[in-house]
Amino acid sequence: MATGIKIDLAAERALAKDFLNNFAGPRGEPKYLNILQDVANRKIRAVQIELDDLIHYKDVDDEFLQRVTENTRRYIGVFADAIDELMPESTEAYAVDEDRDILMTQRVDESADGGADGTDPLQRMPPEIRRFFEVYIKAFSKVTPLTIRQVRATNIGQLVKISGIVTRCSDVKPLMQVAVYTCEECGFEIYQEVTARVFMPLFECPSQRCKLNKAKGNLILQLRASKFLKFQEVKLQELAEHVPKGHIPRSLTVHLRGELTRKVAPGDVVEMSGIFLPMPYYGFQAMRAGLVADTYLEAMSITHFKKKYEEYELKGDEQEQIDRLAEDGDIYNKLSRSLAPEIFGHEDVKKALLLLLVGAPHRKLTDGMKIRGDLHICLMGDPGVAKSQLLKHIINVAPRGVYTTGRGSSGVGLTAAVQKDPVTNEFVLEGGALVLADMGICAIDEFDKMEESDRTAIHEVMEQQTVSIAKAGITTSLNARTAVLAAANPAWGRYDMRRTPAENINLPPALLSRFDLLWLILDRADMENDLEMARHVVHVHQNLESPALGFAPLEPSVLRAYISAARRVVPSVPRELEEYIATAYSSIRQEEAKSNAPHSYTTIRTLLSILRISIALARLRFSETVAQSDVDEALRLMQMSKYSLYSDDRQRSGLDAISDIYSILRDEAARTNSMDVRYAHALNLISRKGYSEAQLKECLEEYASLNVWQIHPSTFDIHFIDA
Amino acid sequence: MVGPQYDLVGNPLGAVRATFERAAEAAAAESGGREPVAAFRGKDWGANEVFRSFLFEQGGLDKVPVLDASNLGLIKPNTLVRFRGMVQDMLGNEYYVGAFKDGSTWRTNKFSDFSPFSIPHPCDSHLWERHLFHCVPVPGQNSWTRESSPGPDVCTMSICLTPEQREKRKRGADNDAMDVSENGNVEASSSSKKPKDDDAHNSNSSPEVSMNKEHIPEMNGVDHHIPGSSFSCLVKVYDMPESQVKLNDVAEFIGVYTFDPELAAPTDNSDDIMFDLIEDVTAQLPPSKVPRLHCLVRRKLSAHDFLSKPPTAEPSPILLKSIRQSLLSHLTLVLGKDELAAQCLLLHLLSRLLNKVDVVTVGRLSLNFTGFNRESASIFGNQINNLIQRLLPYSQAIPLSIEYLNTATLQPRKDNKSGRLITGVLQLPQGTHLTFDETLLQSGSLTSKGVENTMLLKNLMESQMVEYDFEYYKLEMATDIQLLTLSEGKSNILLSDLIVPFRPSCVPGVNASAEELESWRWYLATVRSLPQSTESETYQMIQDEMVSAMRDDRSLGCSELSRWLTMAQIMASSFGENSLSIEHWQMVKELERLRKERLQ
Repeated sequence: MATGIKIDLAAERALAKDFLNNFAGPRGEPKYLNILQDVANRKIRAVQIELDDLIHYKDVDDEFLQRVTENTRRYIGVFADAIDELMPESTEAYAVDEDRDILMTQRVDESADGGADGTDPLQRMPPEIRRFFEVYIKAFSKVTPLTIRQVRATNIGQLVKISGIVTRCSDVKPLMQVAVYTCEECGFEIYQEVTARVFMPLFECPSQRCKLNKAKGNLILQLRASKFLKFQEVKLQELAEHVPKGHIPRSLTVHLRGELTRKVAPGDVVEMSGIFLPMPYYGFQAMRAGLVADTYLEAMSITHFKKKYEEYELKGDEQEQIDRLAEDGDIYNKLSRSLAPEIFGHEDVKKALLLLLVGAPHRKLTDGMKIRGDLHICLMGDPGVAKSQLLKHIINVAPRGVYTTGRGSSGVGLTAAVQKDPVTNEFVLEGGALVLADMGICAIDEFDKMEESDRTAIHEVMEQQTVSIAKAGITTSLNARTAVLAAANPAWGRYDMRRTPAENINLPPALLSRFDLLWLILDRADMENDLEMARHVVHVHQNLESPALGFAPLEPSVLRAYISAARRVVPSVPRELEEYIATAYSSIRQEEAKSNAPHSYTTIRTLLSILRISIALARLRFSETVAQSDVDEALRLMQMSKYSLYSDDRQRSGLDAISDIYSILRDEAARTNSMDVRYAHALNLISRKGYSEAQLKECLEEYASLNVWQIHPSTFDIHFIDA
Repeated sequence: MVGPQYDLVGNPLGAVRATFERAAEAAAAESGGREPVAAFRGKDWGANEVFRSFLFEQGGLDKVPVLDASNLGLIKPNTLVRFRGMVQDMLGNEYYVGAFKDGSTWRTNKFSDFSPFSIPHPCDSHLWERHLFHCVPVPGQNSWTRESSPGPDVCTMSICLTPEQREKRKRGADNDAMDVSENGNVEASSSSKKPKDDDAHNSNSSPEVSMNKEHIPEMNGVDHHIPGSSFSCLVKVYDMPESQVKLNDVAEFIGVYTFDPELAAPTDNSDDIMFDLIEDVTAQLPPSKVPRLHCLVRRKLSAHDFLSKPPTAEPSPILLKSIRQSLLSHLTLVLGKDELAAQCLLLHLLSRLLNKVDVVTVGRLSLNFTGFNRESASIFGNQINNLIQRLLPYSQAIPLSIEYLNTATLQPRKDNKSGRLITGVLQLPQGTHLTFDETLLQSGSLTSKGVENTMLLKNLMESQMVEYDFEYYKLEMATDIQLLTLSEGKSNILLSDLIVPFRPSCVPGVNASAEELESWRWYLATVRSLPQSTESETYQMIQDEMVSAMRDDRSLGCSELSRWLTMAQIMASSFGENSLSIEHWQMVKELERLRKERLQ
């Protein structure tokens, strides 16, 4: 596209040269000169010129930058010429055994002899054949990539950055860059630069000698002397999240050359920068396609999208947002409410799910034993209580998540399978959902309807976090470091109140004990809920939108960023807390021993669970150490999860909340052998059992009026009155 | 304004080019000769207006033939045609040389595949873009809709070819670029240009026809992408914000028809080896097999557009009420005097998806008639199907058997090799009616495909979403499909909103007259598009009633409450009322009571 102003190419080249010469990297080293030295030493081939560097260079103005982005192909030439002039001598010896090098030395000798009549352009050696490098111009790293849909006719010729998923890759093929011929008559080498994908070979020698002699020398194409580039074609398809409603994803052809080939495989999510170019049809195709020009992207750089939390890069102002959120306090509630905001209630379940996303760090002990950090959660409940919705939402928030059902539809199932490749007849190992979700989250719906074979394998996955396979001569172990989020229906479809929870749950204890938290979501009815539901239904029908939430949920992207930042923290448990946790654990064990029909299976796994949940809570606060409040919250969540299962039991046992709280406090006083219980301590104790502050206050007032204890008017500390 | 200087039907491109050249000249004079046509990128320069006024104001629409499988070979290329179809695939956009300089005048290639002028130098041309849509006849379109808008007989069309048109064709054939194809065609087209005399119209058209006839058998015949359909059209749409046309939209495209069997592409071209991956999707739809339509005017079609007569009367409640009565009594007769079932069917037929709120779909009402066995399903099922076919624009009946579930391709799938969307049974336009006959189901085992298909159907039932498979990820497409299930007991595969045990008391045997059918169609289309106002008092009262109902019956859930409200709203609009009153709520409650009695 003509800009109207003539560009002084020589001046541009000088500027490019100046930039390459003088640009200093972050530590003041001459970044590009170092690269060129590596090129001269034949260590690397690609010279990547980053616009990020260009913009920071003092002499480069915006206009130059704009010219580079809008006419990129021309400026690749400009930079290549500049590099030609700057190319240093090689400082290290490298083996000169390639055909090319031998040919080169020969050519240089010949031209020094002056044998060639250098006037003929076709006999002059084109610079490309001498170059051992490829120039790429990389787009700004900070700019948000365009979707394929946004690339329009106005972008033709420009450097654009796009994101997408690779759907097809061609084989890597050679593409001729400079064709070299020798003439039968005069013996000269004739060069022909090829700029397009199709070229017309020369047949007659154009050299002066042949012309003078009217010899019409036959030209023979010298494949070994010609220069070829690696060339690969790739189809890029729009990402699902970029497709507008009611449309289908677009695709774009991308050409990869030289060093960029073999960088992608189908299924990769990538970000590419490249030049958007039209490609006119040739020959017969031109006729078939009429006046249509096909377009493609000539790739300049490829970046793979990071899918793991650990590699998540914060974009733009995300760091700032995270800081603001972290300062805000109450982040725990705010984040958990933002999970599946359209699902009403279930605060504790959402908190648990938030902790599942955060997780705890993996521990590898010195003796090689690994302790998992991932939290496993199982949601159990009546049909239609939005379990699947919760699962799907979590997968959406997690950067790497796989949603599957217990009866996974493919033959691979959940774990892994050995399958025969239909083409090569070789046995290949194919990972199932759990393996695919390595370092992420695997949500398994209909967990109770799992295949028997998967069920045995899942034991290993949930504790050892590997999948072992010994089939068809393949014995191996695959990593499956995933957090398992399972959803299951009760044994008889609906939760049967007349049966015990164990009967309802329908999963073996061995499997259940591997879950850190287990929630029963029941469709319990009460007046308030009924009214809420009726109001919701009517509102939806009346206004065709859901009622306002009463708070602004955080965007999933913000959630993701916050969680990934939190996951970088590795909190430790301080020594003084160890005692506290140990006491709590032993009291749970004792309680279980006391009751005649224990519901839970408190094992050493439970202790690890407490630790994991506490650490995840500390991570949320970006704290390096676990605080006592974290442990208390962990114990509370575990208690709540137990109560969701056994709350009916508790009611049957006749203990109401108030008297239960009283007995807890009484026991504590007896244990510590003191007459005083501090309010904060009391609150910790009862919240661990799943009671609320309001209930505690009620209890305090009620028993104070009975003169059982005295309450400090300002601190609310409790002093027992000895009777 | 351009007068009827050009025959817009016979030579639309002449008018396009003439208006362009005039506009370009004017622009050049204004801007002083520099880049006068750059402003026309993605814009209309007045050609559109000419066609719009011709089609809609001067009644030109009736003169434009409708393109369909039967007359594909008969219509002359480069004439104006109409095509009604569903957007089946979106092939992205295409860049073409939109404007170029021919000597000193600017010319355009908009609305055409070929230029009658020599191919320009790249410097003097502009690349413009246009959108490509692959359109097919609407799946499940019922025959009555086709009668509604007949075009003129195509045989008479050849007569309206103007001398200019022939002039243009001659030039086209003279162009060297076009002469490469098989000899037969060149001869045929050269024979068509020979008789230039004015009384030679008939002899002129006959070789053309016979020539095209040869191509008809191969036309679309083996397009395996669209099972059961043998005809498709590649529509090229210009100057449009992309979001305006959506997948599965049903629209009428009026534009220039180009179809060039001369350009039949040889299948094995050695030059193409390099292009194996680049291969443009349009190569899958060679111009020799799929006609191109360069769209000038486009309009989305609704159920109203298929009614043969434009509605004469205002939709007054009194009129609607009387039609409702006649339709209801007909439904009752068809359903063997089962009035409750007829009421429910009426509500079902009037349901439409209003909105999707989070996970709740508002406004849908899928219906499940239980109590069928094979015989009664064949008697009543056929009756119901026939009636629905004659009432609604698009409907399909699906026999739900194990074999069908295991073999049918329900899910539309993207084939990344060919770059095309391969359609599935569930790729349907908005407002389609589906009837499932579950009485054919027997016990048996489902293959993995069967399971997938069942999941798709379930998902469609529950959330009105169909998942399209794009190989590396799946995309959910919103649909609005009315679903009716006929089953023996309550269908557990296809969980409908409303379950009605069917109790006929006599065999059906009635036929409706054409006028009745017409009025019913009009009624259904009108009522479904009636706006609903929302009045808070009624709703407040309904809310209270719901709470008390829940107290009495603990099994009531969100879905039941939602369904009651939907039924009440549809009930109100079925009487032509645009606001819900307590009376309609009571009627729904009465219906529910009767239904509950039967369920026990």
